[in-house]
Formats: sequence, C-alpha cells, structure tokens
Amino acid sequence: MNLTPFSIALIGVLGLLGVGLYGLMISRNLIKIVVALQILVKAALLGLVAAGSISNQINLGQSLAITVLVADTVVAVIGMALAVQIRRQLGSMDVKELSSLRG
Amino acid sequence: MAIWAALLTIGLPWLGGLCVWMVGDKRPRLQHTLASGFAVVGGLFSLTLLRFVGAKTILSVPMGAAFGDFTLVADGLGVYLALIAAIVGGLAVIFSNDYMKGEAQLGRYYALTFLFVGAMIGLVLSGSLLLMFIFWEITAFCSYALISFHNDDPKAVAGGIKALIMTQLGGIGLLAGAITSYVYLNSYQIDAFLSRAEALPPSVLSLVAFGFLLAAMAKSAQVPFQTWLPDAMEAPTPISALIHAATMVNAGVYLLARFFPAFEAVPGWRLAVITVGLISALFAALMAVVNNDLKRVLAYSTISQLGYMVYAIGAGAILASQFHLLSHSLFKALLFLGAGAVIHTVGTRDMLEMGGLGRRMPFVRAVFVVGALALAGLPITNGFFSKELILEGGLAHGPLWAYLGMILGAMITGLYTIRMVTLVFYGDSRLFKAEHDAPGAMRLSLFVLALGTLTTWLLVGPFSRILAESLPFHHLHAEGTLMVLVEVISAPATWIAVALILGGMLAWLNRARFGSLIGKLGTFSDFLQSGMGFEWLNRQIIRVTQSTTASLRRTQTGLLGWNVVGIIAGLIVVLVLVAIGI
Amino acid sequence: MPLLLLVIVTILFAFQSIRVSRLMISALWLAGASALLSLVFYIMGAYTIAVIELSVGAGLVTVLFVFAITIAGEEPGELRSLIPRPLAVAIAILPLVVLGWYALPLTLAHLPVPETSLANILWQQRALDVFVQVVLIFSGVLGLLGVLEEAKAPLKYPAVDEFAAKRERELQALHQQSIEKESI
Repeated sequence: MNLTPFSIALIGVLGLLGVGLYGLMISRNLIKIVVALQILVKAALLGLVAAGSISNQINLGQSLAITVLVADTVVAVIGMALAVQIRRQLGSMDVKELSSLRG
Repeated sequence: MAIWAALLTIGLPWLGGLCVWMVGDKRPRLQHTLASGFAVVGGLFSLTLLRFVGAKTILSVPMGAAFGDFTLVADGLGVYLALIAAIVGGLAVIFSNDYMKGEAQLGRYYALTFLFVGAMIGLVLSGSLLLMFIFWEITAFCSYALISFHNDDPKAVAGGIKALIMTQLGGIGLLAGAITSYVYLNSYQIDAFLSRAEALPPSVLSLVAFGFLLAAMAKSAQVPFQTWLPDAMEAPTPISALIHAATMVNAGVYLLARFFPAFEAVPGWRLAVITVGLISALFAALMAVVNNDLKRVLAYSTISQLGYMVYAIGAGAILASQFHLLSHSLFKALLFLGAGAVIHTVGTRDMLEMGGLGRRMPFVRAVFVVGALALAGLPITNGFFSKELILEGGLAHGPLWAYLGMILGAMITGLYTIRMVTLVFYGDSRLFKAEHDAPGAMRLSLFVLALGTLTTWLLVGPFSRILAESLPFHHLHAEGTLMVLVEVISAPATWIAVALILGGMLAWLNRARFGSLIGKLGTFSDFLQSGMGFEWLNRQIIRVTQSTTASLRRTQTGLLGWNVVGIIAGLIVVLVLVAIGI
Repeated sequence: MPLLLLVIVTILFAFQSIRVSRLMISALWLAGASALLSLVFYIMGAYTIAVIELSVGAGLVTVLFVFAITIAGEEPGELRSLIPRPLAVAIAILPLVVLGWYALPLTLAHLPVPETSLANILWQQRALDVFVQVVLIFSGVLGLLGVLEEAKAPLKYPAVDEFAAKRERELQALHQQSIEKESI
C-alpha cells in the first residue's frame, strides 16, 4: 500500500478516533470526558481537511472545518461550565458517584 | 393564495399556543383572553379554505428521495374536517375560559390544545402518507398529554398511558401502509396510491387494507380497541369534547373514508368493516345503558356513533358517513360541553347523585336536550337526517342482518339518551348544594353548537357537492338539499326507525312496569359493567408490557462508559453493514 | 515521511493525555497534540485552519481547561475504570479495523474543480453555515448563562439532597478516620 499524504491523514483520523473512543469509555472524571471529546473532534477536523486536499477543494474543507471547530468549542465551554458547577453543587466529578439513573 | 390559507389555518393555532405559553402562568387572565382571541381568529380564518376546495395539490415541499414530497391537498373531505377542528376547537377554548378558571398551569393546557388543533388540521389536509403519519403521531401525543393534564392524579396518568399505548399500536398499521406504498409505488402521495392501487399484488393490498383498518379501529376506539376512550374521560371536559368527540377519534373514520376506493375491492374488507361497526355500535350502546358516570355514558355513545359511521363506510355510503361525522362532531361536542357545565357546577360526575338540575340550570337543560334529540336521531336536528341517511345506505348496499342490528342499536341509543337526560335534569333533586346556571363563556359555546346542531342539516346539498367535485376517485353522487330531505322524509324505513327510537325512550320512561325483567338482567348488567371481559384483557396486556420493560431496565446501568460501549457497538454494526454493501 | 512522523506523534500525545491521571498534565498533553495537529494541517496546505486550530485548540481550549481545573480542583487518586480495559480496547479498535479495511485502500483521483478563495466559499457558498455558527454561539452563551443562573438558585431535587447528605457522611467518616490515625 503506497503512503500517499491522504492515506497518512486517514491513519491519523483512525488513530485519533480510536484514542478518543477509548478515552470516552475509560474516563470517570468529567473533565477527562471533555478531553476525550476534544480528541474526537480533532479526528473529524483532520478527516475534513484531508478530504479537501485530495479533492482539490481545500477551501471547502477548511470552511467546513471552521464550522465544526466553532461547534466543538461551544461544547467544550458548556461542558466545562457544567463540570465546574456539578463539582460545586454535588461535590464530586466522578461519573459513578453522580449516576442516579440506575435501573 | 391557497398556500397561505392552508398554512395559516395550521399555523395560527400553533402561534396561539406558543404565545399563550410564553405569557407565563402568572397572568392567567391574559392567557385566557389571548387564547380566546386566537381561537376566534383561527376558527374564522379556516372558513377561507372553502374558497380553495379542489382536488389539486396546494403545497408541495420536496424532502429528498427517502421521504418523498410533503404535500397539502384541500379537497372536500379534508376541508370540512379542518373546519370542524378549527371551529369546535375554538369553541372548546372559549368554553375553557370559564371551565378552567382558577386552575394551575394554563400555559401547558392551552399550548397543548392549540398544538393539537393545528396538528389535526394538518392531518386531514395532508396529501402525503408520511406527513399524515407525522401529524397522526403529534395528535396522539397531545391527546396523551391532555388526558394526563392533572398529572398528580394517578387515574388520569393511567388513562393517558393506556390511550397512548393503544392508539400507537394502531399507528404502526398506518406506518406499515405508508412504507408499503413507497416500496411498491415509489411514492407516498395518497393520490398516487388511490389511482394505482391495482399495481400492488393482491396479498400486499389486503395486508395494507387490514393494517389501515386496525389503525382506524384503534384511533376511533372500535371494538376490540375501545377501552381507552372511557378511561380517557379523566381529561378536562373541554378536552373530552374536542379530542374525544369531535376531532381525533374522527381520524380513524377519515382514514377509512379516504382510502375506500383503493380497498373496496379487497375480498372480505367491506364485510369486516361492517362487522366492526355493527359490533361497536351495539356493544357500546349496551355499555352506555348500565353506566352511571355521565362522561363515560357520553364516551360509550361516541364509540357507538362512530360504529355507525364505520358501518356506513363498509356499506359504501361514504357521503352518509361523512355527513353523520359532521353532525356527530357538533352534537357530541355540544353534549360534552353541556356535561362539562353540569360537572363544573355540581362537582361530581356520578349521575345517581344528580337530579332535578333542570330547574336551576334551564339554559344548559335546553341545549342538552337539543343535543340529546340529535343523538337519538329525532327530527329537526342534524342527527336525524344523517342517521337516516346512514340507515338507508346500509339497507340499500349492505347485508340485512347488519341493518337489523343497527336499527336495534338506534332503539338502545334512544333508551340511554333519555335515561341520561332524565337522571340529570329531571326528577327529584338528590343534591342539596346551591347550583347556578352556566356562566357567560360557556353559554356562548353551547349556544353556537346548539345552533349548529339545529341547522347544519340544511347544508347537505352544498356538502355533498363539495365532496363529489373534489374527490375524483370516490365516484360520489351529489344531490341537492331538497332532494335529500324529500328522500329521507318519504322513505318508510325512516319512520320505522323513528318509531323504534321512540319505543326505546318509552321503555325507559315506563321502566317500573318492566321491573321483573330488569331484575333478571341483573347479572348481565354486572357483566356489562365490568366491560364484558375487555377490561381484564387490557389489564393483562398492560401488565405484560410493564413487566417486560421492568426486566429490560437492567440494561440501563446509568454509567457513561457502558452507554458509550453501546453506541460504539451500534456504530460497528452499521459500519459492517455498509462495508459488506447492503 | 515527516507527515507520517507528525501524525504518529500526534496520536501518541493524545493517548498520553488520556492515560495521565493528573488533570493539568492531561490538558497540557492535549495542547501539544493540538499544536502538532496544526502543523499537520499546514503541511497539507490548509493554512487558515492551521492558524485557527493552533489559536483555538492550543490556546483558547487549553486556557479554559486550566481555569476549569483550577476552580474545580483536582481529585486525589487514580480512579479505576468501570469497564474492563481489554473490552474497552477491543471495542475501540473494532470500528477502526472495519473503517481502515474499507477506506485505506481508497485511491481517489484528483478532481479538477475550479479553485475559489476561502472568503468566497465562506461567505457566499456556505453562508448558511456561518449563520448556523452564529446561532450556535448565541445558544452557547444562553446555555452558559443558564448554567450560571442555576448555580445561584439551584432547584431542589431529592436526589441532590440525598447525594449531599451521603457526601457529608463520607466526609465525616474521613474526618473521623484522620482523627483516629492522629490519636494512635
């Protein structure tokens, strides 16, 4: 398999995707979960830019990536605000302790 | 222009609901006024739809290949039901001004009511099966939310859930029909389905026909799906008048009427429809005779009258069934709102605790008697003409045994109607509370509905003309008003039916003479009161459903990690399917 | 070759940020991954997005993380994962295998599409996207204000009270333990 830049970028997308999903499953701390979400979005950005570069429409890829980045930043802001408030009100950021939706 | 008429007829109630909700519950008087304003404007505006009645599509929004086009068609069948929804909805909202005075959470109440009215109008105006299904689901949700409006009352919540489960199970039949239409005919449009129904293989067509019949039976509370409607009487009475008498339960009859040309050739379908109508009419009428709760009697009478309409469709008398639908919406809403006025004053729904209310509430008694005459099918009211049209249509095109059953049903209808009226308004006063007559807003709604009940039979000519001209697939014959009236009055079957109804009424009034006979019927009436075994069956169904869900709850660990595992597992399944190339 | 190296190191940095137990160090590894990723973007020719990713990912988001971690405080101790690690690894790798097997052999030809400037695309062709971004930011601000309002006058849920009571008891128990340890 020849290693074109596109294939290398795809490897990057898959790798970041895997790391992000693993982090989402493993983490118990709310802030760590936001970190995992950020990694997943980086995978998406890399995928968009790679698709743009391979189809010679790099600017379309960039503009879509800007939209995704804005959305992701808003998610990170609200996620962290929620995490901080939960820590203040309930005293813990551990997912297991906060879970009251059991069964 | 037609686009605006249709969109605003749907959109004005929705806008009204949003405005009333946003005003907030701290200003109830403003909420009442705003709601009444939107109700009046919406009701009057819907009359503009009459100008644009026709068979062609008004609005077509392409939604991509998978969903087809969302279209609105303003043909006669849809327009008159839209008018009923808007006008009766408006009257129910005006009635709620007085009925819900002092209640909490008015924003939720009015918002849901207006959402329902808009969705009902959208349902009947829709020309795409998928769009109709979406509106069908919205009306089912609003019905559930409004039945359980007093959500601190466990009976209300149980009634709402029961209604939701049963009508949604029927909705599956509708969705299956829509998807079948798309798979075979490549279109969700109702016109395409009606014109090319022969292109479907016969077994598939029968499947769709009976699926739609099931959906209609569940929505219109026909046997064996009828148990949700009496339990839905926990809703506030204006809601019972609007949803469970005048609009939502009509959706099932509307479905059958609209798709009749496609299904009439399916073997056994018409007979099944006639049988369902007959059984529902008789069964519900019997249940109404032994019940003591005023609203439950009206609920059973709704089921019974819907059975008449379903029977008429099965016999092929589409015009008669739709005309009875129009009359029934008006007089049943009138009866429910009258009952609401009584319940609001007296504070109980039990008829055995009422009596002699006619002296203190003469206005309500007068309008209630008008509605009762229409229900029984006695002259001058619209119920007389529409019921006689149904019976004639059934005699001409349907089997004789069904006709005899329906005549018997008419007699029992007369019986329970007079029982209801005498128990509530005549006789000795069993209550010693000070009662007052209905307040102003209630009187307005009741008066308009009573006026409609007494006069809409004059519209049968234009009504049949509008329907015949705008429904090209149904092959209806329009007739002038005078011809129809002469036909009804001169048919001997009419007077036989009237005689039987009067006979039923006299039987009740002289019931002392039948004392021994009634004593022997004691155990039978206990059996009737327990719902002829249907209640037990439904309890079992609900018990099984809830125990299954309880055992499935163990998969909800509540831990984020396991939820993510679930999501990724789903993703893997989808990826594998895509990679394999399905 | 340099591209491949950069990509692999980016993935390693991201993995480190998940593995490390201290939150502050984790945020720093994430900032590093952002910086490397922006280099990758630059090498691929997407100059604007490289700059934006560097300033937002390695700048804005990292500063937010530092603020949040400082205010919220670090929890002591490493928390064990609730899902067995081998299962998590397997589930995380499976979609990658399927995707990779399907997508990596793709050799897409360069499509001859006329090149337009970024400004043209952003403001004219994808104007709806810009509108959506504005709505997103607006709703994000509203959401943030809502969360802060909630903090000032929190709604009373029984679950919250039970939780707070349980927390109190645990803190008391810890306090008792530390007292007993001291007295020994």
